[in-house]
Amino acid sequence: MSNNDQTTSMIKLENVTKYYKNFPAVNDVSLEINRGEVFGFIGPNGAGKTTTIKMLATLMLPSEGKLSIGGYDIEREPYEVRRLIGYMPDSFGVYEDLLVWEYLDYFAALYKLGPAQRKRAISDVLELTDLSIKRDSQVMSLSRGMKQRLCLAKTLLHDPEVLLLDEPASGLDPHARIEIRELIRELCRMGKTVLVSSHILTELADFCTSIGIIEAGRLLAAGRIDDITANLAGHVVLEITVKGDPALALESLAERPEISRTTCDGRIIRAEYTGGSEDVDELLEYLIRRGVRLLGFTRTEADLEDIFLKITRGAVA
Amino acid sequence: MNLNNPILVKEMRTRMRGKRAFLVLTGYVTLLSLIIGMIYIIFKNNAPTSLLNNAGKILTPVLVYVQMGLICLMAPTFSASAISSEREQETFDLLIASLAKPSTILFGKVGAALSYLVLTLFGSLPLIALTYSLGGVDLGDIAKVYLVMFVAGVTYCSLSFLWSTLIRRGVLAQLASLFAVIFLVAAMPALALFFSALASNFSSGPSSGFLNLVFLLLRTNPFAAIASLIPGIPTPPGVWLPDVPVWASQVLFYLVLTALSLYLSLKRLERVRKWM
Repeated sequence: MSNNDQTTSMIKLENVTKYYKNFPAVNDVSLEINRGEVFGFIGPNGAGKTTTIKMLATLMLPSEGKLSIGGYDIEREPYEVRRLIGYMPDSFGVYEDLLVWEYLDYFAALYKLGPAQRKRAISDVLELTDLSIKRDSQVMSLSRGMKQRLCLAKTLLHDPEVLLLDEPASGLDPHARIEIRELIRELCRMGKTVLVSSHILTELADFCTSIGIIEAGRLLAAGRIDDITANLAGHVVLEITVKGDPALALESLAERPEISRTTCDGRIIRAEYTGGSEDVDELLEYLIRRGVRLLGFTRTEADLEDIFLKITRGAVA
Repeated sequence: MNLNNPILVKEMRTRMRGKRAFLVLTGYVTLLSLIIGMIYIIFKNNAPTSLLNNAGKILTPVLVYVQMGLICLMAPTFSASAISSEREQETFDLLIASLAKPSTILFGKVGAALSYLVLTLFGSLPLIALTYSLGGVDLGDIAKVYLVMFVAGVTYCSLSFLWSTLIRRGVLAQLASLFAVIFLVAAMPALALFFSALASNFSSGPSSGFLNLVFLLLRTNPFAAIASLIPGIPTPPGVWLPDVPVWASQVLFYLVLTALSLYLSLKRLERVRKWM
């Protein structure tokens, strides 16, 4: 039985494995997410994020291991878990023939809210998601971004403690993406425990307090962003801006043993530097000697993208 | 059935709001009216005057048979895609992750399908009232016939719902449901005919047990049940349970089938996490 009030761990996975036929989509994943935490679940497409979230949403059973939310076991106590969670799938449909308020009323009733409560909840979530003006519109008339917001509104109707958001901004234009991001930020401020997945790291970087990196079904790292960054001590990223073609700079960097990886975006090169911090000037001298025309040479801290690249390097064949 | 069932309310809103309900009902009543009108004209021009006074005796069974045929074709489509369409339009996850119990889903979906059935049966009442006014038909028999048709519709809707939980694709679920109904309606009389044909080859004639088996098969058929209510069609002598009317045994058989379909659907929905 749960001890909902005493536990600080809100979401718990213990050695969870999920097979599709013989293929392990999720492989021996253990994870704990504390109450009030905003956990970013990061990984490429097909890494096992959706399968993990579906298991947490009580839609699937694990092949092995145990999952619980708020102390309730998802296998034995699915209804208690469903009461606690708000689930937004990565790909979802809406009932096109309904009006916006009818759609929300339907789900509010499914979550056992009484008529008066339903009215209040619908009004609240419409306001939060900035859809009040669309209350009497047909669902089919909404744009993709609005439908996404409507689904998020539906997710919040019963005021769940835990939110499971699977790629909430996928397929949206930049404007709608920003709106969804702002909404999630607002939910974080409301103190909800949020598990949000994405393969676009910049989406999560702003508001996550902790992250988990999953690839090929295996959880490669999980914890507070600060802790993970600290574990990657010595991991320095150099941002080098070149004039003209970056090919020479890339070629020169590839020859240096202290450069473990480079990525190039136009004229800006990001190079992972593993050498001593006092020796960075040597690299600068070397590039100039090789005739690379530099506009900028800056040492930066590792961001979420760097952490992801560092951790996942070589994890997938 | 709980009328506050959110799924039932939602289904009623979506089903009854669009053009579909209007078109189904209009098409249904128009088809019945045309057939009855045509038969009435033919009958009026050819039948002797003595028969014309009891025209209802001919027109009512024709109307009921056509209606029963239409129910066989339409009822499976009312619920055959109830679950598969939720899966196809990607709303099933949201439904299952909510606090909706399997029984809420079952009764909401089947209840909404039955609303269509009730609508069509009510839609035909003015036509039956017309044929009744032409004389020769007992009001009690009409009530029994409507009971047979309603129960048959309920059974086909329940059976189709079961297929909808078993088959992922809506079109395939519809086809499977239609074949199941055709099997139920046609297979039993076909078997009865087959046994009768076999019996005619016996030198000493068929045994009473054999005849009973044939009659028992006919007792499961709604068309046979309706035929048994036409005045003048006698029950063969020496059959098992002669006091139990054919329509009553048929209704009972279909109610058992309905209960079985609903039970299996419920079990399937309870184990939804194993097949999703």
